[in-house]
Amino acid sequence: MVEKDAGEVSGKALRLEGVAASEGAAVGPVFVHALEEFEPERETIPEGSVEEEISRFEAAVEAVVPQLSETAEKMREAGNEDEAAIFDAHIELAQDPELADGVAERVRNLESPESAVLAVGEQYAQMFEGMEDEYMAARADDVRDVARQIAVEISGHKAAGLEALREPAVILARSLAPSDTARVPKGMALGFLTAEGSKTSHVSIMARSMGIPAVVGVGQKLEKAFEAETVALDGTEGYAIADPDPDTLAEFERKEQRIASEREALEEYRHVEARTGDGRRIEVAANLGSAKEAADALEWGAEGVGLFRTEFLFMERDELPSEEEQYEVYREVAEAFGEKPVVIRTLDVGGDKDLPGVEQPEEENPFLGWRGIRMCLDVPELFKPQLRALLRASAHGNLKMMFPMVADAEEVRRAREVLEECRRELEDEGAEAGSPEVGVMVETPAAALCAADLAKEVSFFSVGTNDLVQYTLAADRGNERLRHLQNAGHLAVLKLIGLTCEAAKEAGIWVGVCGEAAADPDLIPRLVGLGVTELSMSASSIPRAKKIVSEL
Amino acid sequence: MVEKEVTVVPEEGLHARPAAKFVKMAKGFNSDIKVIKDSTEANAKSSLNLMTLGATQGDKLLIQAEGEDAEEAVEALAELISTEEH
Repeated sequence: MVEKDAGEVSGKALRLEGVAASEGAAVGPVFVHALEEFEPERETIPEGSVEEEISRFEAAVEAVVPQLSETAEKMREAGNEDEAAIFDAHIELAQDPELADGVAERVRNLESPESAVLAVGEQYAQMFEGMEDEYMAARADDVRDVARQIAVEISGHKAAGLEALREPAVILARSLAPSDTARVPKGMALGFLTAEGSKTSHVSIMARSMGIPAVVGVGQKLEKAFEAETVALDGTEGYAIADPDPDTLAEFERKEQRIASEREALEEYRHVEARTGDGRRIEVAANLGSAKEAADALEWGAEGVGLFRTEFLFMERDELPSEEEQYEVYREVAEAFGEKPVVIRTLDVGGDKDLPGVEQPEEENPFLGWRGIRMCLDVPELFKPQLRALLRASAHGNLKMMFPMVADAEEVRRAREVLEECRRELEDEGAEAGSPEVGVMVETPAAALCAADLAKEVSFFSVGTNDLVQYTLAADRGNERLRHLQNAGHLAVLKLIGLTCEAAKEAGIWVGVCGEAAADPDLIPRLVGLGVTELSMSASSIPRAKKIVSEL
Repeated sequence: MVEKEVTVVPEEGLHARPAAKFVKMAKGFNSDIKVIKDSTEANAKSSLNLMTLGATQGDKLLIQAEGEDAEEAVEALAELISTEEH
């Protein structure tokens, strides 16, 4: 059908469906990047030059490695730690002893080193491609990329790649190697469109970190777009249109403008203090699952940490983490945030997860079972090292702690007694310790209904909406058929949050929300209206939440 | 010769990035170190080789070392592979 229309100017728009790999829309001229199949000029070498040729391979590796580390450094400086790690891995591959052995063996059989390195690389690449794992198969391109760079280096050719790009364009390629994407001059790539690839391919990761829209995995059909002059690409929906008609162009123009203005509008909110129109301060914080996420969260504009989960310290290991190990982690995150508050939640696990050294009974309903504070109070060897570590770490920052799964004020009193005991112990030992604020999570309807009692025991509440929803509406979080009930905007849930806020106000303490509702554009106004003064969410949602707050 | 059986804990298995870390550590030891999965052997100092094992989360691996620092090598590498990535 395409051939029939080939002579016509209009009506030849071609639609390509692929994977939405990186958000955004772009329209621009087509730049086809052919991953040049590098053809070595020499297949063989003369006898007697074996050692010399092996040295040439080694010299090429030594020349390629600094280029790779330079790129890794550039990525690191730009804060792209993940991408930097890719190039670190490439350095490893270039210096790999098995690669060197494989090449040396072939050179001894009088194959040229450039041909040998390509062959050995290809051998490994095919092995990786044969693996069922998608991530692993994608690593085939890593090996090919590295082998090609070494081969090019041996031949003394200069790779003419995307660095030659002088005008902004949408880049079309079968696939793109990390060394390709890294060499694109700044501002020259409007978008990426590739035949191969998935969400976890390098091109997708790079595109997301560079903020460039990308559609990958459109298949062989891509070749039909090589002849096109213009391509419109939607990386949010995952499609592209080659030779778009005027209507499509207009549509994309609107899309681009909308996205650009949204981004720009959010950008200016990243590092502002969130405040409502009438001047109320709302702290917009991040939920973290480990200390290494701290830098990223700060970058997104986190004004603190509203929920630091500690489960990762306890999972999948042979013994419980020591007080010292926990102290190091809590101290690291406290120091990363300086004066900004960091709320650490004490261990929240139940029968659904294994804990080393803690015998957990089989339970029919782990979510209504022995978990969170209930378990911690019963197992001092679990609870006390964590409390001691928290007390010690709080000397190094603005640390707060909170107890999960509270249903009764008595639980809080008992937990505070254990905390006091730990404080006295540390005092006797002469160890440095701070006095962190103590709060509770409001995630059972009981806690919300008895908030007035609880408020007497603590300095703050943090509403965990995900669990509060599941317990209030008696609807399992994971049950697909109950999606309509997994709604933090349900009147019953909002009433409970309202009760919590009233009790807090009465007692003069503050309330935060650290569930998914905290980032929900529709719910933020209601939460703030009820009296919530802290919203904690995934770091990337922070700029948008700040914007919504400031428009209230 | 020193050896130890471990279970792969990192979610990414022994893939490119975790493998790189593993290799970096292995290279710090003088011993010859092998990683064995279902009787397939790999050189612990080669990420190319290691990746061909296709070791994913939950797989059982045998780490074997021979040399003066074999004991430390096996301990350190076993620890690395049986803890969550940091």
